[in-house]
Formats: sequence, structure tokens, C-alpha cells
Amino acid sequence: MAARVGALRGLFGAPVSRYDQASALWLLAPMLGVLLVVAVFPVLYSLWISFFDLRLTRPHRVPFVWFENYQEIFQDELFWQSVWRSASFTVMSVTAIMAIGLGMALLLNEDFRGRRFLSAMLLVPWAIPYVANGLMWKWIYDSGYGALNGILFQLDFIDKYMVWLGDSQKTLWLIANAFVWKEVPLATILILVGLKSIPADLYGAARVDGANLWARFVHITLPSLRPAFMLVVIYETMMAIRHFDLFFILTEGGPAEASHVLAWHVYVETFRKLSFGTGSALAYIMALVTFLLAFWLIRTLGRKL
Amino acid sequence: MKRFDRRDFLKSSAAAALAGSSTFGALGRALAAAPVNFFAWSAGVDQVKAHIAAFEAKTGIKVNYGNAPWAQYRDTLITKFVGKAPLDTLWVSDAWLPEWAEAGWLAPIDGYPELLKYNGDVDDFSTKSMMWKGRQYGLTYYTDYMGFFYDEGMLQKAGISAPPKTWDEVVQQSRKIKKAGLSEYPMMLSMARETWLIEFLSAMVFSHGGRFVDDGGAAVMQDKKKGAHEALRWIVDAVQKHKIVSPACVEIGELNGLKSFTSGQHAFAMLGRYRIRTLNDPKQSQIAPRARQALMPAGPNGKNATVGWNRFYGLTATAAKDKAKAADTVKLIEWFGGKADGKYAFQKLMFMDVGAGFAVKPLFKDPDIIKTYNEFSDIKMYERQQALAQKKDVVAPWFGEWDEVNGTAWQAAVVGKSSIEDALKRSADTWNKLRRRA
Repeated sequence: MAARVGALRGLFGAPVSRYDQASALWLLAPMLGVLLVVAVFPVLYSLWISFFDLRLTRPHRVPFVWFENYQEIFQDELFWQSVWRSASFTVMSVTAIMAIGLGMALLLNEDFRGRRFLSAMLLVPWAIPYVANGLMWKWIYDSGYGALNGILFQLDFIDKYMVWLGDSQKTLWLIANAFVWKEVPLATILILVGLKSIPADLYGAARVDGANLWARFVHITLPSLRPAFMLVVIYETMMAIRHFDLFFILTEGGPAEASHVLAWHVYVETFRKLSFGTGSALAYIMALVTFLLAFWLIRTLGRKL
Repeated sequence: MKRFDRRDFLKSSAAAALAGSSTFGALGRALAAAPVNFFAWSAGVDQVKAHIAAFEAKTGIKVNYGNAPWAQYRDTLITKFVGKAPLDTLWVSDAWLPEWAEAGWLAPIDGYPELLKYNGDVDDFSTKSMMWKGRQYGLTYYTDYMGFFYDEGMLQKAGISAPPKTWDEVVQQSRKIKKAGLSEYPMMLSMARETWLIEFLSAMVFSHGGRFVDDGGAAVMQDKKKGAHEALRWIVDAVQKHKIVSPACVEIGELNGLKSFTSGQHAFAMLGRYRIRTLNDPKQSQIAPRARQALMPAGPNGKNATVGWNRFYGLTATAAKDKAKAADTVKLIEWFGGKADGKYAFQKLMFMDVGAGFAVKPLFKDPDIIKTYNEFSDIKMYERQQALAQKKDVVAPWFGEWDEVNGTAWQAAVVGKSSIEDALKRSADTWNKLRRRA
């Protein structure tokens, strides 16, 4: 064995790999080629077309307009409104996901009868595809025959059926609710993993020192959960900012732009107006904002770990 | 002299093979005439296939038929046009005509008298819907209009003997029905943001005697006298003041509106005319057979007008450039959109099988059609209202972009987020801006 290892050493005794770099590259080349075609090229091409006034319905005139698409977007009042709505949606959704996820994780971290069943049930929303989730909530929120009205009416909380998605004051909250319902399971699992990794000795020592339940939660549980919180906050923020499916299925941006968020704005420009130049520019702005936000979150939250 | 070696032999053989294949290929194609490529949305697929089979048997011309769902049809076709996919004739919606004609994808058919001869039989608004800049781009496939329906049973229970003739009467009768506890929201309006919305809005505007744009194409919707002001005022009052239309109308699409009306929750509804068959089908409707059609109520300055829409067979510009292909394609268009063996066979087939409306007036006299239609409605009313239908006046190359803003503006007024004046001004400003840009 020693002789074989020795044979793999070079002139100056440095270890030499069994295969050379060139062979590895050749073997990876097909996959690199596929990635270049399906990932890198479309990304660069969409950046390129964001500098053109490209409308599919006007194929014979595609002028190069430099940064005009970007300029138009920043001057558009609807764009800034959609940014504000996306930010509101993200803040309300992520806050609720964190709070409910933490509560659920704390509950599932305890020993009680039916815990395993509850854990399995928790995964159901996560397993449902977004489109099915959207259709389900559309039925629940329907003002004519929806389950929400039915339950509230039978419990005497309301004396007549209410308008839910059609009420511009409530729309964003209701979509956020459907989003939270779907995302809470993942957050719960991530936080639960964090909880399981806290050494029991810490709690024992704290008890000896006379720390009550609240003090143990504030001084041991919460600080120990920081890595899990960071993961949940970053992931769910990215998901919320880019979220499209529920807006498409539940309201199509309405009523009266009440749910016209950034992702919907990109869709309308690109696929309804077929304005691919502006749509690409918008997509790049959105990607840049998402990237910067993720970078900032990692820097600020990560530093505290 | 250079020796003819093995390499030269291979080169010359390859060149000969290439030349031969292209020559014989062209000859082969010429002999076996290229099929006509026909694309449609996924409606009446079996009927279309059967009619194509009859065409192929009669003429010997082969047809390649393809279809896509309505929801993805426009995007699919635009992608096909841009990608230069083989396409000779296709179903076109009146809303897309200016966009596709301006892009150079469709060719006018006014050079083909064998197609134009059918115009005399077709309702005027239907022919106008196939025209752009004075030229005709197709033959009608299907035509219909927005109808006004009522539940005769509910009106009788409320002591109302005749349906409303004006929008004021709709308010009065609705209040009576509401007071009698028969319906919370007697009038059903669908105002969700979908492709149907402009049809509902146009019907409201036309029945109030208004317009979105004038004949010159300039926005007049914001004009209090000849625009859309009266119509939007009626809707806003119906929702906010009289409470005869549900404030949830902004989330109710056409299909949900139909379900809501068939469940017996409303006395009046605006729906596509062809929905009458469903409304009076006991398997699908709780109000069957009490659903009746009335003329669209008139506003103070209106005359029972409604909006009509048209879908037609268009000829592509690529097919028009090739004389032989154009001749075959025109034959196919005539077979479907005109007469086949001396009869409007396909329009009748589509009406009898799937209830699709027709624009060819002689079919109103067809005994089979009269008998079938009168089983669930009144053919006289069908014909009378169709004669009062108008084409959408907002059809332009920028229609899609404007429609997004217009729908939102009307919704904003209905939910009280904007005034009627501001909503219509926003809509008009957008129209004018897009028009200038074009």
C-alpha cells in the first residue's frame, strides 16, 4: 500500500492526483455546455434585450434605446406603488411566518400525546402545490359561497356575507394569509431543528441559577435560534418578494391595483403587453433588489451569529 | 493536367447529390401540393375535424389542423408568427386584428371576390369587426353579443309583470325585489379583470348611448355627454348607493357570474347571449326554464344597443404571397366561413352542436335553428338584439395595453378608490398617450 502511495508522489514528493485537470474538464464539458445554453445565455440575452424597445407585436421595429427602459420604469408611478406593495406584503408575511413558525416549533419540541400526528399534519400545506393552494383559498374567500363567510355567518360573527378579495383594503392581507399558511411548515421545521440542537445542559444550569421559563426562553432559546432565524428570514423574504402564483390566481393584481405587486408588474409588462424590453429591464431590477436585500440580510444577521 | 483523385470524386458526388435532392425535392413538393396549415383555438374540435375531412374529400387539398386553448391562444400565435412557423389560415379575434395586421402577419382578403360575396348575408357590425383601415381581413367564424337576462319567476314573485326597458327601471325593479327579500343583490355584474371585462363595459357604454372613442379614434370616454360617464355613474350608484349590485362584482368573472345567476341569487344578469342555453338547462341551472332574454336596457340617451364580438378566419401574409397556397387557403376559408356545397354548413353545425352564435342572417330563417333555439329561448329576441349590436370601438394596435389600465380605472371607481371623472380621465389619458406613441 505504501509503495502505491509512494508511486503517486511526484519528483519533489508532492502528492499527484490520479487524474489530470484536462480530463476532468473534458468530462465536465457536456454539462458546462448545457448550463451555458440553458442558464448563462438566457440571463445575458435578457440583459441585452433590456436595452431594446422590443415588443413582440411590433417585430419590424426594434430600436436600441440604451437605458430608456430603465428610465421609464423609474419614472412610472405604478412601479413605485408596486415596490411599496411588495415591501408591505413581504414584511407582513415574513413577520407572521416567523411568529407562527416559532410558536409551532416550540409546541412540537414538547412531549405530548399526538405530537407525531401534528408534525405529519403540519407538512400538508407545504406539500400542496402553489396553484392548488391558490384555488383552494379562492374558494374559501369567495364572497358568494366561500367557506370563510359560511363559518363566520354560522358562528354569528357576521350578519351577512362579506366581500373579501374584492375589498381593496383587505386584499393584500388575505393573500399574505394564504402565503403564510403555505410557508409556515418549512419555517417550523427549520426552527425546530435549531431547537433540537440546543444542549439540554444549558436549561439545567439556568434552572439551578433560578431562571424562570421566560428568562430561559429569552436568554437561551432565542439567542440559540439565531442561525435558524437567519435562514428563515432570508429564504422567506426572497420567496415573498418574488411571489407571483397567488396574485395571479386570487386577484390578477386587482381590485383596482390593490394587489399589483412587483412580480405582477413584471408579468403584465412581459406577457400581457408583450413588451419584452421593459419586462427584461424590470426583471433585472427585481433580481438586483433581491440580491442586494439578501446580501444585506446575510451581512447584518450573519454578523450577530 | 490535374489528376481526378478520390477527394475530387467525393466532392463532386456530394455536390451532385445536393443539387439532385433540392431539384427533386422541389419537384416532389410541387407534385404533392403542400397542405394548408390551419390553426384555431380548442373549440368545437370534433366539428372542425369533420368539416376538414369533408373539405379534403371534396377538393383533394390536405389540411394540417392544430389548436391551442383560448387562454394561451394569442401568445401562442404571436410566438408562431415571430418564429415564422407554417401558418396559412387561423381563427382571429376582432380584438387582435389591428395588432396583427399592423405587424404584417395578416393579409387583407378584399382581393378575393369569392369571399367578399358573403358580406351581403352578414350582420353589419360583424363585417366591420373584420376591417382595419378600410380593408377586410377575414370571413366570420362566430359572432355573438352581450345579452340582458332576467329570472321571470323572481320578477313575478315581486309583482313585476314586464322586464325593464331602461337602466332606471332596472334600479326601480331591483329595489322592489330587494325590498321583497327575494335577492340581496338583484343585478349581477361581472367586473373582474379578465378578457370579458371590456365586453361588459362596452355593452354598458353603448346602451347608455356613449362611446369610448370617436370615429376618428380620439378618446371621448371622459366626455360627460357622449362618453362613458353615464354608464360608469350607473354602476357606481348601483354598487354604492342603491346596493343592488354586489361590491364583490370586482372579483366576479364571467363564469362565476354565470354560476351565481344560475343558482337563483339574482333577478338580472348581463352575460354572453349564448349562455341562454345553459341558463335554461335544468341540469346546469336552478332557474331553468325561467331565464328570459330582454333587450339591453337603455340609458337616458341610449337605444338598447349592446356590444357584439366577432371571431373570423384570417389569411396570413405568408400564405397570401404564394399564389398556389393562397388559392387553396381561400378555398378552405370559404368552406368554413362561407358556404360549403351551397349551404352555411359549418355555422349551422357549430350552432346546433355547441351553441355558437352566427353572423349570417339567412340562418335566422333556418327551420332547424328556429326549432332548436325556441326550445330554450326566443329566436326573434336573438335576432332583434343582434341587429342592435355595435362593434367594440376601442380595438386598436394598443388595445391590450390600454385595456389593462381601463379595467383598473373602472374598478377603482366602483370600489370608491377614485372618482368617476378621475377614472375616465386616466383611461382617456392612457389611450391618447398610446395612440401618440403608435
